[in-house]
Amino acid sequence: MPRKLFTSKTVILFVAVCLFPLIAYGSDRIVDLLYERGIALPLPSGDYILRVVVQACLYMLLALGLNIVPGFTGLLDLGYVGFYLVGGYTAGLLMARLGWSYWIVLPLAAVHGALWGLLRGAPTLRLTGDYFAIVTFGFSELLFRIVKNEQWLIGGPNGFVNDIPPPILFGYQLNKYWQQYYHILILLVLTIVVVHRLQHSRVGRAWAAIREDERAAESMGINLREYKSLAFAVSAAIGAVGGAFFAQFQVNISAGVFEFWESIFILCMVVLGGMGTIKGSILGAGILGVLGELLREFGGWRYLIFGILLILIMRFRPAGLLSKKEQD
Amino acid sequence: MSEPASILEITNLTKHFGGVTAVSNIDISVQEGQIASLIGPNGAGKTTLFNCVTGLESPSEGSVKFQDQNIVGLRPDQIAEIGMARTFQNIRLFSQLTVLDNVKIGRHCRSKSRLWSSVSRNQKQRQEESHITSHAFQQLSFVGLEGLRDHLAGNLSYGDQRRVEIARALAMGPKLLLLDEPAAGMNPQETQQLIELIHAIREQEITILLIEHDMKMVMQISDWVTVIAQGEKISAGEPEAVQNDERVIRAYLGESYDAET
Ligand SMILES: Nc1ncnc2c1ncn2[C@@H]1O[C@H](COP(=O)(O)OP(=O)(O)O)[C@@H](O)[C@H]1O
Ligand SMILES: [Mg+2]
Repeated sequence: MPRKLFTSKTVILFVAVCLFPLIAYGSDRIVDLLYERGIALPLPSGDYILRVVVQACLYMLLALGLNIVPGFTGLLDLGYVGFYLVGGYTAGLLMARLGWSYWIVLPLAAVHGALWGLLRGAPTLRLTGDYFAIVTFGFSELLFRIVKNEQWLIGGPNGFVNDIPPPILFGYQLNKYWQQYYHILILLVLTIVVVHRLQHSRVGRAWAAIREDERAAESMGINLREYKSLAFAVSAAIGAVGGAFFAQFQVNISAGVFEFWESIFILCMVVLGGMGTIKGSILGAGILGVLGELLREFGGWRYLIFGILLILIMRFRPAGLLSKKEQD
Repeated sequence: MSEPASILEITNLTKHFGGVTAVSNIDISVQEGQIASLIGPNGAGKTTLFNCVTGLESPSEGSVKFQDQNIVGLRPDQIAEIGMARTFQNIRLFSQLTVLDNVKIGRHCRSKSRLWSSVSRNQKQRQEESHITSHAFQQLSFVGLEGLRDHLAGNLSYGDQRRVEIARALAMGPKLLLLDEPAAGMNPQETQQLIELIHAIREQEITILLIEHDMKMVMQISDWVTVIAQGEKISAGEPEAVQNDERVIRAYLGESYDAET
């Protein structure tokens, strides 16, 4: 690639990202010092900042995974939260009930998610457009109802799985926010590398061809079944990795997290930043992820704010914030 | 040349759409190395015939043999893989992708990298990618569009889009190339360049089956012409013979013949 990687901007960004916990806790120290001198700064605590950032990074990972289906391959997915749920419960149940190690559970969750992606994909391979979207919605709703109602499977009402133990690395429990920050950062960077490499490969070009014109794509020798299935599986695997991370991060999970609205929320992130681009998914998830946390006290009202934001985007930037070209 | 072998053998091909019979009982045989043409008034069933041959439609009756292999029932991607490529009457480029990416996608059926090699970027994958890129460059300069490779395909002029479609089809490494009205919307100068391009393609030992409305062009470049009207074959032969055939003249003058669309 001809672009220069080490510009001053990217170096500063890199250092800031790597040292972010120091910055967050450093601001804690400053607030403490000033407080002793009688000055009260209304700054949030470092832990709070880190928690919001971890949450936003998790959404970035999810948005990147979702983007593969509607963004790269052009199929509207309204049930992405289903794979998040599969990952969450795979990790939650295996760790809390059977005491399995997170480092084994994480790849298992990815594989498990991919299987569900293929399973969901199989009957939808011939469907396009609205029909496909309806099936994806029904599928995630089905999984949601299973974890909510089937106590024999989950072991508690409303899908509660409690006391999921933290991962252990070199004998240390990863239960501090700064540790979780690096944890999600590594998963996120890995996801970016995987998605970027796929996008710029024979596989990614096949996906783009399917998105642009299915009939022409198959006339070029692209096996639609194979490449759609591949998109479903990779997308689902990333969603499930997000779910597994979430389970150990939250310690307690319940069905309520995996409601339909969460799918729409993640889809909004992808649309906001610009469908089909990696930067767009990251930006969209960053904005909505942080905003979602900051506006938490508004409860359901924050969805109104997101709604207005999206309408504005659709009106002024129909192809997303990062788009250069206007879509018709 | 050695003795001519038939590369495409269409027998008894029929296609109904509900009550409409778009293609009725058509036999066509294309010899290897030929430029064969298919002409006929609008709505004659030419495009439908192409769709049946390339697997986009399934014929109601009849058989299609490509290099002695029965291909009825194969998927379009399988037919592409065994060596048939096509362009579309109503240009079907991947319009939001660059010209170069369009042509690279044409190379899909001649390359192999899948999930793991794409993610790991192993040596084989990187080699294949650079092959795909250089092959695409080659096809683009063959059709004279190397300068436009980073443009979005949808932003090109009509004539250039048709050339990208041809480059994309050539990237598939076909033995038989089906062109559906490649000169439609071109000015006389572009049409002349297209004729030269088609000759150059034949030089690469690619057989060509051409649908065209431009009579002058058809008569100039074809080795063999098949004429169909209202789904039925009404004549076939060498250009001069077909040109003087009563039934052909009647079909063309009798029907409302629209040279532009
Ligand atoms: N998908 C379809 N459904 C119904 N009728 C069709 C379809 N495709 C083509 N036809 C009909 O078949 C006939 C032949 O069309 P076509 O093959 O496009 O003709 P040509 O390419 O020779 O102009 C026309 O009468 C057209 O209306
Ligand atoms: Mg036609």
